[in-house]
Amino acid sequence: MTTYIFRRVLLLIPTLFGITLLTFLLIRYSPGNAALLKGGGGESGGKAMTAEVREQMIKLYDLDKPPLTAYALWLGKSLRLNLGDSVVDHRPVARKIGERLPLTMSLAGSALALSYLIAIPLGIAAALRRGQPLDRAISFVVFVLYSIPTFAAALLLILLVAGGDYLNLLPMYGASSINASDMGPFAWLWDRVLHMILPVVCLTYASLASISRYSRVSMLEALGQDFVRTARAKGLPERLVIFRHALRNALIPIITIFALEMPALIGGAVILESIFSLPGMGQLMFQSIDARDTPVIMGITVLAAIVTLLSYLAADILYVVVDPRISYE
Amino acid sequence: MSTPLLHVENLAIQFGPPDDPVKAVDGISFGMSAGETLAVVGESGSGKSVTALALTRLLASPPARYVSGRIEFEGRDVLQLPESELRALRGKQIAYIFQEPGSSLNPVFTIGYQIREAIELHRPEVRDVTAEIVSALDRVGIREPAKRLNDYPHQLSGGMQQRVMIAMALACQPKLLVADEPTTALDVTIQKQIMDLLKELKRTSNMAIILITHNFGLVADFADRVAVMFRGKIVETGATAEILRNPQHAYTRALIECVPKLGQKQHRLKVIDYAGIT
Amino acid sequence: MNEPESSHDIYSESYTQRIWRLFQADSFARNGLRTVIVLFAIAALAPFLANSHAIIRVADGRVSFPIFPTLEAIEWRFLLYVPLAGMIYLLRKVIFRRPLACLLILAGVIAGIEIALALTHPVNDPTNDRDRAATFKLMPPIPYSPIESTPDQFVGPSWKHLCGTDSTGRDIAARLLHGARTSLAIGFIAQSIALLVGVSLGGLAGYYRGWFDIGVCRFIEIMDCFPPLLLILAIMGLSPSQNNMFYIMAVIGLTSWTGLARLVRGEFLRLSSLAFPQAARALGAGDSRVIIRHLLPNALGPILVSATFGVASAILLESSLSFLGFGMQAPTPSWGDILSDARRYIDFAWWLAFFPGIAILITLVSYNFVGEGLRDAVDPRLKVK
Repeated sequence: MTTYIFRRVLLLIPTLFGITLLTFLLIRYSPGNAALLKGGGGESGGKAMTAEVREQMIKLYDLDKPPLTAYALWLGKSLRLNLGDSVVDHRPVARKIGERLPLTMSLAGSALALSYLIAIPLGIAAALRRGQPLDRAISFVVFVLYSIPTFAAALLLILLVAGGDYLNLLPMYGASSINASDMGPFAWLWDRVLHMILPVVCLTYASLASISRYSRVSMLEALGQDFVRTARAKGLPERLVIFRHALRNALIPIITIFALEMPALIGGAVILESIFSLPGMGQLMFQSIDARDTPVIMGITVLAAIVTLLSYLAADILYVVVDPRISYE
Repeated sequence: MSTPLLHVENLAIQFGPPDDPVKAVDGISFGMSAGETLAVVGESGSGKSVTALALTRLLASPPARYVSGRIEFEGRDVLQLPESELRALRGKQIAYIFQEPGSSLNPVFTIGYQIREAIELHRPEVRDVTAEIVSALDRVGIREPAKRLNDYPHQLSGGMQQRVMIAMALACQPKLLVADEPTTALDVTIQKQIMDLLKELKRTSNMAIILITHNFGLVADFADRVAVMFRGKIVETGATAEILRNPQHAYTRALIECVPKLGQKQHRLKVIDYAGIT
Repeated sequence: MNEPESSHDIYSESYTQRIWRLFQADSFARNGLRTVIVLFAIAALAPFLANSHAIIRVADGRVSFPIFPTLEAIEWRFLLYVPLAGMIYLLRKVIFRRPLACLLILAGVIAGIEIALALTHPVNDPTNDRDRAATFKLMPPIPYSPIESTPDQFVGPSWKHLCGTDSTGRDIAARLLHGARTSLAIGFIAQSIALLVGVSLGGLAGYYRGWFDIGVCRFIEIMDCFPPLLLILAIMGLSPSQNNMFYIMAVIGLTSWTGLARLVRGEFLRLSSLAFPQAARALGAGDSRVIIRHLLPNALGPILVSATFGVASAILLESSLSFLGFGMQAPTPSWGDILSDARRYIDFAWWLAFFPGIAILITLVSYNFVGEGLRDAVDPRLKVK
């Protein structure tokens, strides 16, 4: 098993190279930075870069060196997680991101868990009642939900449920209330939970569609397999046939699909952090874009890609664990 | 003559819209006694598998429709049985083995587990279930059965998978075994092995066996009686030796002639001429 | 056995006819398509639906058409060439009979149009015709321009402003109608870019295999690791501020092609294992002919499905970007932009969130229905009905 994991990790390395290479190319050759290389000052019609910032950038990314050397240096640095220092406050990028990472990950993680919890039963119910009103209703509702943009739903919910003229149940923004430090531990925890409810809900409903639909298809496929007929022929009660034999098979692909949801969840988290003023990676991204803090911008991009890559790895390993047919080859 | 184990009377099963149905089984009747071996022979689409599955109402009822007829097993009509009694019938009285053993076994459970399921369900009095599983596997000719318990189906060859299916079917000591084309998906040499196993079982137990096949060649030294099906109807039925010697119906004749015979010089394989059959 | 009706024998229809028939059978897909067509019509006719200039104005004994000088050259081209194309299609049989004469006429017409366009210049006339008196005037249904500020700021939905106004008094309904243009244009063109890149890379990878295939697959893997929105934000963040539609289209297109590439590659791999590409080559067809005439048409179904969903997702991306402040900004009307305004004033200006939200929702739902309908119609597993 460990050899398998080891081998999968090895296979990740070329992709890691690719990720760092792509971000490097973006740094070096994107329109804004290309101007830097030409030694020019600010770009036309946009925010100009000060001379100090320009110098920092050139130093940080070795923009004055030939591309290959610069890439090698960048690779070395990023693999040691030395992503440079923020242009804004000269703190290490890695540390700045590290402070924000837990919130974003907990947001994405909760949404993922919640959407799985809701979507799998929905998908299975739809599969079991195929073609009937329940199936159609679930498909329709899930479909419409999928079409609602995250930020629209967020605004709508804020309007209805948080501040504003209607119900005022939940806080409108922030991760904790202002007087959080005065609260006892339980109150503080509860306060945090309340603040997270709306963002998590907004992030969850979007994934519901794909996961429940996938669950439905997977369950229908499993129910159509020969071994289900064998289980029935053995005389097993229908309940066991469905929930022991069919479901166990259907769950295998469903479990591994979470990796595919990761990029969407991170993207969604970014938008929601902006709307709800949550101090996560997304908010840092916007602040950095505003301040033209390129090291942080690229640091976040690389890190997000690596997180996604790791989730693909996790999904692969999970697949092997869960499906006896897949050997450690 | 003993009371028939199984008696099917005028069974008709249809698919599709009621005004334009596909008559998969179009009014067939046959019977079997305990310990007897019946072969149901016919080509694809003749309705033999549908009949086999109907014996314990395994056909999904939409889309299939049981239009008419009775299936009497030990005197009781299967088509009228309540769910709970039907489940008691399945596996315990009537057991099945299917055509594709690889996909008929659940890939995520060990074979030991799948057999255990059957035993625990139908024979709760058994104390040492593991020993029972081991002896079942042994009886079907699987070597080192104790080690094989924890194997997954994909780790076994096709022939062994089918043996496991047979073992699973036998574990509950059923009165009737329905074998739906058990060797069609296997190599010829494995086919022989499985058929030999079935012959052995026929000899050593009092279990009735229905063998569904399209291959008349398998029928000859295995079945006591034969029923020939064509387009949903039974066109001929009788003792095997009699039918082979003296086939009455044109289709039966054609089927028998289709079997290539070693040593006989044939320039072309025989093909069934449907136009000549009513 | 029933005989199929000879008027439409479903056993002898072409692939396209079959897809169309199955598509029509799905009521959601049908209505989705109708909505999409309506949206396109709205986008195309936006200047005539929401404008502060009158279409016809009769004053002081003279008839004038104030709206037309304000149209850009590209508007004119669109208004003239689309009906022209329609006429050509309708008259195709006539044209077929006398191709040379028709070609000359067409060349003359096009030359005439282009010369006229070159000579005229659009006039940006800020005076609106609403307030000017006239004997008779025919105003567009929404008599406001999307970029004109009025002193009525933050007015809720009313008879005067059907969807209310925003912080600078601009009419929301007008901005919605013109915003449809922005969204659809960006969505469509961005997806076309993605289509071009994705189909090319995926197709070539699936056809030639070998090192190129491995390279493309790696590339796709790498691109897939980046959350798309984040990547776009990074690119936008590294670029000088852009209110340039084409830049946004390019960025969205160049980050959304991986799904299509994978799909096309898979289809080409699958199709190559069938016999007919080999047969074509045996007959002497070169690579490009095999790809274009044989493989692509067979892969067209899934490509269309993916492209439809892709347009929906591109529209969503554009709205998200505008919302976050990176896409089209005021004064260019964009649904996302209105929504970002809504964020600030949500306490009292609920209409700023509601109407653009509904607009985006309807658009996305319709496209998704069309995509679903296409997917079911194209599915090879469905048997002939």
